[in-house]
Amino acid sequence: MAANKSQGSYYTLFLAAATVLCAGIFFWSGGLGKLLFVVGLVGVAGSLFGMLSIKSLEGKSALKPSPLAMKLIGAAASALGWVITLFGMHLTPSVGGRLVLALVGIGVSLFGILVVLPAAFNKNAIWKS
Amino acid sequence: MKLKELRILSLVLCVLAIGLAMGVAAYAQAPAAAAPAAAAPPPAADAQLTAAAAKAPTTADLAKGDPGGTLTGTINDVPAADSTKGVTLPDVANQVGQNKIAANFIWTLVTGYLVMFMQAGFAMVESGLTRVKNANHTYMMNFFVYTVGLFSYWIIGFAIQQGGSAGNGNLGGLNSLSVEHTTTILGKTWGLFGGTGFFLSGHTYDVGVMVLFLFEMVFMDTALTIVTGACAERWKFLAFALSSSFMGALTYPLYANWAWGGGWLSQLGANNQLGHGYCDFAGSGVVHAVGGITALAVCLIVGPRIGKFNRDGSSNPIIGHDVSAVLIGCFILAFGWFGFNPGSTLGASAAGNLRIGTIAVDTMLAGCTGTFGALLYMWIKNGKVDYSMSGNGLLAGLVAITAPSGFVNTVGACIIGLVAGVLVCLSCAFFENVLKVDDPVGAISVHGTNGLWGVLSVGLFADGTSNYGGSWNGVAGSVTGLFYGDASQLVAQLVGISTLIGFVFTFSFLLNLAIEFFVGHRVSVETEIAGLDLPEMGQLGYPEFVLKPEPDVLLQAEKQYAVA
Repeated sequence: MAANKSQGSYYTLFLAAATVLCAGIFFWSGGLGKLLFVVGLVGVAGSLFGMLSIKSLEGKSALKPSPLAMKLIGAAASALGWVITLFGMHLTPSVGGRLVLALVGIGVSLFGILVVLPAAFNKNAIWKS
Repeated sequence: MKLKELRILSLVLCVLAIGLAMGVAAYAQAPAAAAPAAAAPPPAADAQLTAAAAKAPTTADLAKGDPGGTLTGTINDVPAADSTKGVTLPDVANQVGQNKIAANFIWTLVTGYLVMFMQAGFAMVESGLTRVKNANHTYMMNFFVYTVGLFSYWIIGFAIQQGGSAGNGNLGGLNSLSVEHTTTILGKTWGLFGGTGFFLSGHTYDVGVMVLFLFEMVFMDTALTIVTGACAERWKFLAFALSSSFMGALTYPLYANWAWGGGWLSQLGANNQLGHGYCDFAGSGVVHAVGGITALAVCLIVGPRIGKFNRDGSSNPIIGHDVSAVLIGCFILAFGWFGFNPGSTLGASAAGNLRIGTIAVDTMLAGCTGTFGALLYMWIKNGKVDYSMSGNGLLAGLVAITAPSGFVNTVGACIIGLVAGVLVCLSCAFFENVLKVDDPVGAISVHGTNGLWGVLSVGLFADGTSNYGGSWNGVAGSVTGLFYGDASQLVAQLVGISTLIGFVFTFSFLLNLAIEFFVGHRVSVETEIAGLDLPEMGQLGYPEFVLKPEPDVLLQAEKQYAVA
């Protein structure tokens, strides 16, 4: 299908709704702000579901479905590494201890990003078939 | 008589009492009255100003022209608050303050314009490294990302990033940027995101805030345009526009607030005694690593181009269409980097800002050694000089020096650049051959890997000689790395790296996974094989060129996908 009028329309709606949503945050303390926020939120959701409704028209892409659970595990491992680093700052006041825990955290994050996620995406990669 | 005498006596006593009281009061007031006299400028100052005004060139003198420039820019050009009194010392003081802020405004704006021009460099590099059938699409992504990013940043991004960053004396205080949403953990207050500056309205309708907005906006747009290169030749335009909108509104501003907007990473020194907190002078982490890491997240989702990998996992080179665009684009980027790094002082006057010369030279040298690193590595390894990796080496050196440029000496800058030049070659090979991630322009390695290296190198090479007003991130003294005696600064940098790969990657990945659900990142097989120019843009990049057939290996792969 490639680019088309519907895509342009839904993206325009997205931009307009996002602007209204942000205006709602700006005027949040007043009654009008909350109304704008809700209107903007509904508009953004509407634009996204509109895009979803025309997604199937795009046609088949050179991608095969890959395991979602594995992707989420990879993302979780990445986030866990960050939590370890943050926790490490409060666990010990020593520079050496914090250094080691920061490196452990980075290692866990890299495991998620460089090992788990590529494995998830390459598991059913179309170039393998 | 007695009564009369008593009255006279009372009157005399009253007069004496009043006199005594007035005397005491006069005695008490005497020092106070003397104080303004003491605080007033010595008569000599006003006399000197009067003398200078008398010696100043007259209108008749100036009417004759001033070829030597000795008559222009005198006391005549200092505005007097009261013209009847002439120029006074307060007038001179006000003009000095105005000149300082004016110099800083001009510096920050002009360097911001240079950074804005980098968009042209990115467009040329990225498009030059893709095939001719995708040239229009790649150029258009680089063109449109400027608009998308700017708008997102205006409506919300700037408020999140800089909404609580009041106190910058270089730009007049920026006191209207006064709301930083915080949380308290273990008795320490940590900044999370800003809260003023939506639409640059309200109290943020301010001259200093406008200057800061322009400068920070072009930085943000640099981060956004990194992703377009990594995902070129198969990224649906709608998905790109949506992804860039979210990145300009949320992902980039959030991390930038933590590092630059008074957020928790910048407070690691004051709150946790980790050096001067996370230090990222011009954005190896904030701009380049955020862009490179987001590029990796989207690249994983969007998958490799048709024909990039064979069944056995080996990769095929897909050659770009325009060497001249790539190398000229690299030069434009190197030119723009003189705005990127020296401009990040946000001023040329006061607060140690004269270090801009050192920063500019560090930037040049790191680009130089980065080119050496990549060019010589490829020459030794393959026996040929590789133009794309040489260009990437230049950019890698510049990316790596971006964070440390304000804190290191020239030797440190050369080492940082050289390591970056070799690192970009190794990283490109790793992502392509080991992880099977297809990055047509090497953006993940140039900006992601070397952005992280730049952040780390602050904690190693900062030499403790910089002095931006005597403190950095609220911690007195100069930023000092491990090699110059402060290991705790290295830990602060590692916390920043962990946040980049742990938080920014995860956030970007989940955000783009949601976009994949709603929109789908990848174009159809037919569109990809035809090239994205006609199906997505409606016009070829080079309509009068005759397209050469693809190499056999790519043609076979395309046929296979078309049949499937």
